[in-house]
Amino acid sequence: MPENQSTKEPILKVTDLKQYFKISDSYTVKAVDGVSFDIYPGETYGLVGESGSGKSTIGRAVIRLYDPTDGRIEFDGMDITGKMSRKNENTLRTRMQMIFQDPMASLNPRKTVGDIVAEGLDIHHTYKTHEERNQMVSEILKKVGLSPEHRSRYPHQFSGGQRQRVGIARALIMNPKLIIADECISALDVSIQAQVVNLMKDIQQETGTAYLFIAHDLSMVKYISDRIGVLHLGHLLETGTKDEIFDNPLHPYTRSLLSAIPSPNPIFEKGRISETYDYKTSGINYSEGTYHHISGQHYVKCTDEEFNKWNS
Amino acid sequence: MADKIIEINNLDISFKTTAGLVHAIRGINVDLEKGETVAIVGESGSGKSVTMKAAMGILASNAVVNSGEILFHYTDDDGQPAMVDILQKDKRWIRNNINGRRISMVFQDPMTSLDPTMTIGKQIMEGMIWHYKTPKKEAWDKAVGLLKEVGIEDAQKRMKQYPHQLSGGMRQRVVIAIALACDPDLLICDEPTTALDVTIQAKILELIKKVQKERHIAVIYITHDLGVVATVADYVNVMYAGKIVEVGNVNEIYYDPKHPYTWGLLSAMPDLDTDDDRLYTIPGSPPNLLHEVKGDAFAARNKYAMKIDDEADPPMFQVSKTHWAATWLLDPRAPKVQMPKELSDRIERMKEAVRSAGKSID
Repeated sequence: MPENQSTKEPILKVTDLKQYFKISDSYTVKAVDGVSFDIYPGETYGLVGESGSGKSTIGRAVIRLYDPTDGRIEFDGMDITGKMSRKNENTLRTRMQMIFQDPMASLNPRKTVGDIVAEGLDIHHTYKTHEERNQMVSEILKKVGLSPEHRSRYPHQFSGGQRQRVGIARALIMNPKLIIADECISALDVSIQAQVVNLMKDIQQETGTAYLFIAHDLSMVKYISDRIGVLHLGHLLETGTKDEIFDNPLHPYTRSLLSAIPSPNPIFEKGRISETYDYKTSGINYSEGTYHHISGQHYVKCTDEEFNKWNS
Repeated sequence: MADKIIEINNLDISFKTTAGLVHAIRGINVDLEKGETVAIVGESGSGKSVTMKAAMGILASNAVVNSGEILFHYTDDDGQPAMVDILQKDKRWIRNNINGRRISMVFQDPMTSLDPTMTIGKQIMEGMIWHYKTPKKEAWDKAVGLLKEVGIEDAQKRMKQYPHQLSGGMRQRVVIAIALACDPDLLICDEPTTALDVTIQAKILELIKKVQKERHIAVIYITHDLGVVATVADYVNVMYAGKIVEVGNVNEIYYDPKHPYTWGLLSAMPDLDTDDDRLYTIPGSPPNLLHEVKGDAFAARNKYAMKIDDEADPPMFQVSKTHWAATWLLDPRAPKVQMPKELSDRIERMKEAVRSAGKSID
């Protein structure tokens, strides 16, 4: 957790973000419906929620792969919603980077790893000589635990974990202030996941980059994140530091989510029944809720009535 | 001895590929009794799915069975107990007598294992009509009952719907209903919840446990998720590079693991109380089974490896009546090695949690 958070300016400020997809004249999918959160420099913000909750959509809207329907996204003090000036767009495209879920699908199979990693440099002309470029690529490959000789190889010649390292190197080479990691470890094996997570933590300590960590594996999210946001059906229902969320979950959805995490403690697990939560029968209407402050940085989205009921 | 349902003895399978022979399964043994649940844990490529495909007689055509037997105990059509070696039977016999009838399987992704062009009802009735020639009316009623059993409301309406009209969790429930349609003795679940959300995962696991208890059937789980295993399994087999490296009941594996690979697997996965700065990792990646493995396949990734690990494959050392592990560390001549501190701390924490809940570890 970064110190003096109140005095620090957030690196990313998302205010009332809405992302709708129009399917037909009469049907619009409200994938993200009024979500607000901040990310401070050097911290990791975890977004969790089931599939279809809008977590990936938020990631993609923030990095402007989508055009947000409404709301405001500020990155490093500049407004990146709507049409951006060339300068702002350049800053966004270098200082914010993304790591994708499936490294095999996100790496061009016909390019060498060296060219894949250097693509951002090539586009933004951030080097003067060819040697400088190769030097930068070699350094970044070393940083993610690959060797400079790997530069001339192709993605298929790597194992899954190594490929994800290439994906991380590609993001890192631009010196980003914020990296959006969209399910970046869920396609990897358990033993490889730990390697990649450790690497991400090391990099954060060294470079001070912030992460928006999108995942559905709650144990891993708790392990890596400083603060967590819980999404459901496009609404950010609860947000706070990881301890606030895990020790004192208030929203029934958060509670059902946490109760469903399997733990590697067999005697405990055998008798456990997870809590059931059904939005349709719960009587909760997300759109009527407003953010209520609980303590510290812990907020929950609900009506006054619900807040009194849950917080008693 | 209680009723054995399946015994896999010394199974050894290779695959012919353009690059050469891949030695995927290198002599494994699995036993399962009626009503029990066994989990097979391992990383991708460790051979866990291939083992179960062999038991179902649905190995790919380039597979070569080098040795071993898969003995399946069942009650034949005349009600007599019978035993068969599945590897010796032809595809047609297996299709008529085993697949879907006595052993059925639940696959990972319900969207690919259901037929998108058939109604739910038809897919559930298919097996009953094919195997038992059940009259259509009777099959329909049974299918409705099955849908209710797996927790689907509005069963009559759902019967006429297509898979795309259901949510992911519902679809997996339908797949389970199909698997149960012919009253199998053994249910094989191949990563049944990997494609599902954590809330739905918990519900599906509870469902499988409930069904198993009510029907007293045996279940084999194939998974890489140790959290899932702790929830469901009685016995655990840990597989690495085509071999079972540790086997024991679930408490022995989680509270007293002996193999360095199991240590690695358990500590690589953070639990909710993990606040170490770094996760314990297993360095490197699994070996390529295209090349014959000399010595212990795990040696290259094992920081506790000794000289002998490069020379000879460790036998299974017995730890307790039910607990075995294949590592030279258990040899009486080996130096005493402790499990990594991260893991021993966590096990202490887990035991503490169990004790404070007033339960006992035995």
